[in-house]
Amino acid sequence: MHTSVIPAQRPESTQTRGQMPNSVLEKEGCTTRRIAHIDDDPDIRDTVKRILDANGYGVDSYQTMNDFIVSLGNSQDLPDLAILDVMVETMDIGLETYMEIRKRFPGLHMIFMTSLGEEIRPYFTGISDEWILIVEKPVEPVSLLSIIRNRLDAAEA
Amino acid sequence: MGVAEFSWDASRNRYTFPGMGLGGSKLSDQVLTGNAHWFIVFRWAVIGVLLLFQIFALIASDTLTEIGITHQQGWPVAITALLCIANILYIYALDFRPQTRYNSPSINIWAQIIVDLLCLSVVVHFVGSIATPAPFFYVLHIALSCIFFSTVESLIVTGMVCVMYAIVLLIENPLLFLNHQSILISDAAALHPLKIDILLWMFTLDVLFFVVWYVVSRLSIVVRANERHLLDAYEQISRAQVEKDRYAVLMTHQLKAPLDAIRSKINLIKGNYCGEAPPEIRDVLLKIDHRASGMAMLILDVLKLERLKAAARDPGSLEQVNVELIIRKCIEKLKPIAKSRHIIIKPSIEGFIVDGIPSQFEILFENIISNAIAYSYDGASVEVSALFDIRDSSATVSVIDHGIGIADKDLPHIFDEYFYTPRAALHNRTSSGIGLSIVKTVAENNKLHIKVSSEQNVGTIFSVTLQNAKKAAALENEVRHPASPVSNPGIGIEFHA
Repeated sequence: MHTSVIPAQRPESTQTRGQMPNSVLEKEGCTTRRIAHIDDDPDIRDTVKRILDANGYGVDSYQTMNDFIVSLGNSQDLPDLAILDVMVETMDIGLETYMEIRKRFPGLHMIFMTSLGEEIRPYFTGISDEWILIVEKPVEPVSLLSIIRNRLDAAEA
Repeated sequence: MGVAEFSWDASRNRYTFPGMGLGGSKLSDQVLTGNAHWFIVFRWAVIGVLLLFQIFALIASDTLTEIGITHQQGWPVAITALLCIANILYIYALDFRPQTRYNSPSINIWAQIIVDLLCLSVVVHFVGSIATPAPFFYVLHIALSCIFFSTVESLIVTGMVCVMYAIVLLIENPLLFLNHQSILISDAAALHPLKIDILLWMFTLDVLFFVVWYVVSRLSIVVRANERHLLDAYEQISRAQVEKDRYAVLMTHQLKAPLDAIRSKINLIKGNYCGEAPPEIRDVLLKIDHRASGMAMLILDVLKLERLKAAARDPGSLEQVNVELIIRKCIEKLKPIAKSRHIIIKPSIEGFIVDGIPSQFEILFENIISNAIAYSYDGASVEVSALFDIRDSSATVSVIDHGIGIADKDLPHIFDEYFYTPRAALHNRTSSGIGLSIVKTVAENNKLHIKVSSEQNVGTIFSVTLQNAKKAAALENEVRHPASPVSNPGIGIEFHA
């Protein structure tokens, strides 16, 4: 049974190549929102980058959690949102990194994207009290953009 | 240079025999509290016996005097009162005072044993230390201390018993030990027969006390060792279960991740991120995506089924499940799929609550309703009804479709894992073949009864019967009673051909 955590979809025909109609740039006409994406699968990294680039987001892709943490350093210039793969390298590394980032950068907004969808949730119980958004792969452009928009709006509010 | 050390000696000390130490063979506080309560209840019974004895003494005092029991001093009243007060104090300390260093279940039991031994000694003194079998009741205390305490502590209790019995004998015959020296130097034949009798009693009973201590404490050690092994085994099983789940999660991920990469790329093309694709290519891609999504579903379903089976072995905490909310949630979730095929879902749901595992109920109803949609003809309707029967506190959820139906010969096999019929596969290509196995496992875990009636090309009715249902609104004011034991009807299939 396919359990989806994604909000209701919009018709995909509204999309065209290049600058997408609902892009943040067009809507807000302001600075580019930066999104960090960590995934060890190059095809997923490429797909997410293409979708987000085309919709006016700035994307920094990382292959490993360590690369991402190094990039954060101690700077206060955090990305607006981080999309993490839980099973990057190993599940333990994914969860440990999440714990570390939460501790060091409590202001950073994160969502998880994994092939396992909701089935990974039991591994989050006990390590975090906060509500965690888990998106099931494959990457679906419409729902991914809608989730990102939602999370960025929620972060602003 | 990196150095890694590996050790697989997890079984070290697993089968060590608990020794004579104070720590290793002690019972947990929880067990001790249980035992202390049991001890208190037992003492109420003894108090009852003592009261009966006093009533008997009032009615037939002559008979008691004849058998050598002196009751005139009023000792039974004093003992009964003392035991009563002590029992109330034990209960107060156990249940109404916070546990501290000086108020632990262990100290409570120690106090109980010492007071009991003192009382018993008084009883032994008055009913006759060698004339009646009363001293044998000391054995009971030794046995209990062996069960409650460590070997050393129970040995201390045994020593106390010997001393107390000696004191009782001494009080009865103060010259017994004073004459001892003269006994040694004088002729053995000069010994008073009563003194020999008393010394023999003391010696024999002391030996008996130590033998009982030895036997029961050894037995107790064996029982505790077995208990420890059982706990170890249970821990190992739990660890294995966790490991198994991690392995299943890893395998699921490894199998599904490449499919997700493929489908993500397809989604790029579908979303026109790689330029406009000709309709023929889009059509082919949709078919590829459809099959791939079926496979992805199967992979996740296998993980779900394994987890549900594991949940059956683990008696998890049951919660009160509002079935109406769950069914409505499932319908909301499945509406887009139904809409895409112009299928209307008609709900008619009464609110009720049952004990169960909420997430599993969701899986169950989602599977049944999505099956009804999948095997309906386009443009048909699916009726979902939930009826609460107040007479026998049961509820029935029925999902009725007007689709392809199930052939009579296939009906008994629909809950088998990976069972599929070519007819069904033709209608629904994305079926994983284990959706109904998941339903069956959930039904088993939650003790549900399922009835399936079907007729080919007419439709299928899935009826789930839930026992011990309660009206949703009535719940808030109601005190929760434990569910009455009901037989598990299991899974049934009935034909209405």
